[in-house]
Amino acid sequence: MTDSALSVLLVDDNDMIRECITAYLEDEGFTVYAFTTAEEALELIDTINPVVCISDMRLPGMYGEEFILRASALSPLTGYLLHTGMLYTLSDELRAIGMTDSDVFLKPLYDLSKLSKKIYQIAAVRGEL
Amino acid sequence: MPQRATETFFNSASRYRTLVENSCDIIFSLDFEGRFAYVSPAWKSLLGHELSEVVGHNFREFVDPEDIPRCEEVFMTVIRTNAMQEMTYRVQHADGSWRQHTSRVNRHRDENGEKTIFGTSHDVTERLFFEELISRTEKMTMISGMAAGMAHEINNPLGAILQNAQNIERRVSTSIPANVQAAAEVGVSLDLIHAYMQKRGIFDFINHIRTAGIKASEIITNMLQFSRRSDADSENVDLSTFLDKVLELAGSDYDMKKKYGFQKIELQRLYSAALPEVHLSVSGMEQVLLNILKNAAQALAATETPIITVRTRGVKGMAVIEIEDNGPGMDEKTRQRIFEPFFTKKEIGAGTGLGLSVAHQIVTKGHHGIISVRSRPGEGCCFTIKLPMQGRG
Repeated sequence: MTDSALSVLLVDDNDMIRECITAYLEDEGFTVYAFTTAEEALELIDTINPVVCISDMRLPGMYGEEFILRASALSPLTGYLLHTGMLYTLSDELRAIGMTDSDVFLKPLYDLSKLSKKIYQIAAVRGEL
Repeated sequence: MPQRATETFFNSASRYRTLVENSCDIIFSLDFEGRFAYVSPAWKSLLGHELSEVVGHNFREFVDPEDIPRCEEVFMTVIRTNAMQEMTYRVQHADGSWRQHTSRVNRHRDENGEKTIFGTSHDVTERLFFEELISRTEKMTMISGMAAGMAHEINNPLGAILQNAQNIERRVSTSIPANVQAAAEVGVSLDLIHAYMQKRGIFDFINHIRTAGIKASEIITNMLQFSRRSDADSENVDLSTFLDKVLELAGSDYDMKKKYGFQKIELQRLYSAALPEVHLSVSGMEQVLLNILKNAAQALAATETPIITVRTRGVKGMAVIEIEDNGPGMDEKTRQRIFEPFFTKKEIGAGTGLGLSVAHQIVTKGHHGIISVRSRPGEGCCFTIKLPMQGRG
């Protein structure tokens, strides 16, 4: 882990999904902080200040949507992505913080390079690349 | 007191007559041979015949032959026991269609000692249809809820399968520095590992895992969309794309595969390229087409080279969909009754006999369209659906 590595925060309660996305993104050179619940992630998000935060929708406690709304208040420069198994249409609240349909990834994600491309894109906009 | 009042009321024959003649149920009397001695005017409004076409005729002329043995049993019981009997049976309307009637009959001996059978008949066709429809809708709602839940649960493991296959592939790639470093640490050459995996077809296997996973996920997405749609989801659709989707859905239906061998049937698609988009209820029309395809697949069970042809064309402002099979076809009597509720040629348990009647409702009431069927024994069967191209306005 170097200072120059871009950090990504990941929230998913499914162990397999969390592990394989972490493995993929680490192979891409990102530093990944993975959490099983929204509550844990919220405690550390402003310290981590990730370039991108990827959240599942259905989580054991707080759901992904509320998590992103709270997280974006704590870490407004982070780009937020939803990774969900539901047929989902983005709510007005999430659109209001700048999310668009291209920020929603439906499970199962066939090809994780779509996710890494999206992260690079957000990082480029933030001027971190 | 009340009893005396009742007696006084019924002293008048004209009151009786008015009651009988205004009843919306049929009131009838039969002799012991089963011939109608009297039928009330309600017969004409419920079954269409002139009363003169009924009086003097045997009830057996009007009842569905399949129901005659049951009717006869009731008839004989009434003659023997003088106890009120009730039964529901099918009776033919003057226009050839079949109605379900519930009749109550009893033996009567009048003041002159003359014995007849008296009865009333009530038309229960609609009620039975909607009762069955409601119970089926409830079942469907439950099943689609379960299917949606299942589909969602399957997406996570499926994601893990797909993404881990991708990770395995990447972990032997020389372009990732961590791989090169780890290989060096354990003293093997990444290039050689790569060459070995290539030689033994391991990358192909990984690819198969991904292809199969993607296929499974497409099936689930289809299912999820099918179960989530409501009836109010009318939209403009391109018929060719829509029909392809329905055929794909039919191909992944468990019953279609296991019971009816749908994958053995050759599908011919003859779509007109010139059709404009058609406004339709996606879930409704999916149900219609799946029902017809299921019927076709069942009919083709014993056909050597089973073929289903799906055709589209435009005729006079109508979009026409034809689904034709090369199965055994059906006789004229069956063809006429095929859209009637509860009409089924299948064994008990194989079908409710509602599928095509619901299809008929959806096409005619829901889309202002026309559904018809053309068939002859030995010449296959062709369902035609015509939908107005400007939609339901």
